[in-house]
Amino acid sequence: MMTRSLPLIGLFVLGLAGLAAMTAAQEDDPASVSAALAPRAEGLIVARCSVCHSPDLVAQQRLPKDRWLATVDKMKHWGAEIADDEAELLVRYLSARYHPAAPDHLPPFDHELRKAEPLTQEPADTGPLVGVATRGAGIFEHNCQACHGTGATGGMGPKLAKNPILKHDDLFWETVLHGRGPMPAWGSVLSQQDIADIHTWLLTK
Amino acid sequence: MSESVSSSRRTLFKRMAEIIGGLVVWGQVRPAPAQQTVSPETGPQTVRVMRPYDAETPVREFTSYVTPNHRFFVRSHFGPPAPELIAEANWRLRVGGLIEHPLEFTLKDLKEFERVTITAVVQCSGNGRAFHRPKVPGVQWERGAVGNAQWTGVRLRDVLAKAGIRPSAKHVQLQGADRPVVASVPLFTRSIPLEKALHPDTILAYEMNGRPLPLLHGAPLRVITPGWMADSCTKWLTEITVQVDEAKGYYMQTAYRVPVTAIQPNSGLPGTSMVPVEAMVVKSLIASPVNGDQVGRGPVTVQGVAWSGEAAVAIVELSFDDGKTWEQARLVGEDEPYAWRQWQFLWKPKAAGAVTILCRATDAAGQVQPQESPWNPSGFLWNGWDRVAITVAS
Ligand code: HEC
Ligand code: HEC
Repeated sequence: MMTRSLPLIGLFVLGLAGLAAMTAAQEDDPASVSAALAPRAEGLIVARCSVCHSPDLVAQQRLPKDRWLATVDKMKHWGAEIADDEAELLVRYLSARYHPAAPDHLPPFDHELRKAEPLTQEPADTGPLVGVATRGAGIFEHNCQACHGTGATGGMGPKLAKNPILKHDDLFWETVLHGRGPMPAWGSVLSQQDIADIHTWLLTK
Repeated sequence: MSESVSSSRRTLFKRMAEIIGGLVVWGQVRPAPAQQTVSPETGPQTVRVMRPYDAETPVREFTSYVTPNHRFFVRSHFGPPAPELIAEANWRLRVGGLIEHPLEFTLKDLKEFERVTITAVVQCSGNGRAFHRPKVPGVQWERGAVGNAQWTGVRLRDVLAKAGIRPSAKHVQLQGADRPVVASVPLFTRSIPLEKALHPDTILAYEMNGRPLPLLHGAPLRVITPGWMADSCTKWLTEITVQVDEAKGYYMQTAYRVPVTAIQPNSGLPGTSMVPVEAMVVKSLIASPVNGDQVGRGPVTVQGVAWSGEAAVAIVELSFDDGKTWEQARLVGEDEPYAWRQWQFLWKPKAAGAVTILCRATDAAGQVQPQESPWNPSGFLWNGWDRVAITVAS
């Protein structure tokens, strides 16, 4: 009994501890690598990759690492807004979860492992967050513009400039953190400060 | 610099963090297995990609000669164009390049040309990609990215003749109105050799199975290159350019190419000499029974379809013993040049238990459907033996 449940507990701890806890030995086991990277990586797939196509196109592939690398490179070249460290993490995740020997129908992750971690820890409670519009403009361009258009005037996603939702903090934050339908969830990709900056910038539009 | 304060944000964030920590994010991104969905325009199909919409036809549909529009497989790179671009009032077909008179047509103008109807198989070059080993990237099509339909329109060569082709012309570039969401993605720009463009059976179709071409199938006008793979069958066609060279860009120069000679899996990249995917290869499918069916001991009608690119189907054979022996099926129904041929076989199961039925076709040019197709880096032109696993009840 004890020995049977050990690996599971190991996975669980890994999942919670996330990236930092990965050791070289664990790197070799695709299941633990993908479980550990999943919260961040799946968030990235929705936020960075689903601008042009739904994530099902990604999840149906079964590729070795070099082809994942080439694929992510190609996407970047075509305009995927993905930073180098994000791309690296994604390739590690994709080649651990969607490798050639993985079953066609992958079981969903263990319930306990589904911990999407916010990118940054919530800062100490030192009062309300202040958004900076000039920063927000850049973050919007990098993360939102592909779907919401230049100047937030609308595109594949709705117009956000002068959108009534900007006046409803709770709705705005809920939508941005969680996503809604085709709108990605940003909770594991952007920091609160980033989102506040975007919000402030949108209010100036 | 303007600043503002998100006051209720703090408490809200705490609530969000709890929920995010749970299932919400995952609920959205967990890969869904291919599923049957009903969308208003397409009816039941097996969806491969939700956006842009790519979906295949369940093979059981292939017991009918013509594949109905709402079941016909759907494939595009960027999804249909914005409706205003292809609305009849705005839509135009422009013909330019190496011609005497640049022309612009409305749909009504085009309908002045002689109306022709051709029944033809249209098949995605990646149909069966999922069966290549080692696995290759791309939409993981299985068996249903193919269909047989009646296409009505005008001959491309009649349109080109009106424009007057200059002697230096060698290729005809085809561009549709579909656009990627992000402008840095290459357009789906294709070309076909002038010879194929001038073939009397190459048409610009505005009807599919007697109905105006549906939006997902390229409304108002698409190219049909009978006998060739569907990468030449540009949808939402708006521009025809006659030119010396093949089209430039990713979708002609890099994608939709196969090695000239067979290569070892995962080798020969890059540098191997690659040629565009053009004619279809001989292929057959078992439409009934379907995988997982249970059949009785009495005679079972096994049926399906077979087709080839530029030759007629000559023989269809079935094997019930893993390819050791083969028995010939009967070709039935319509026999038209670019359409598929239906076949039937009356099978008397010898014993109860699991059976795998194999199927292979041979065309009049002597091409035989192989057990497995030659591996190629993008997984095109799969035509390995079709196989269906069923159980004979005791
Ligand atoms: C700027 C638009 C864009 C973004 C962003 C994007 N892709 Fe793609 N992707 C494409 C296009 C275009 C195709 C080809 C689609 C087709 O042929 O139907 C594609 C195809 C794919 C394929 C199928 C294999 C292939 O090479 O055709 C995979 C896998 C893929 N993308 C993964 C990703 C991943 C992972 C990300 C995020 C890092 C991503 N994509 C982001 C545009 C994009
Ligand atoms: C992959 C495309 C995509 C990206 C990237 C994207 N969005 Fe969205 N967004 C959408 C879509 C589509 C909707 C509409 C959702 C719906 O129909 O429910 C939406 C809706 C919204 C809404 C709600 C608007 C309303 O009228 O209710 C807000 C707010 C929003 N997005 C903010 C953002 C922000 C901020 C970013 C960048 C951090 C972003 N979006 C990035 C596609 C996207």
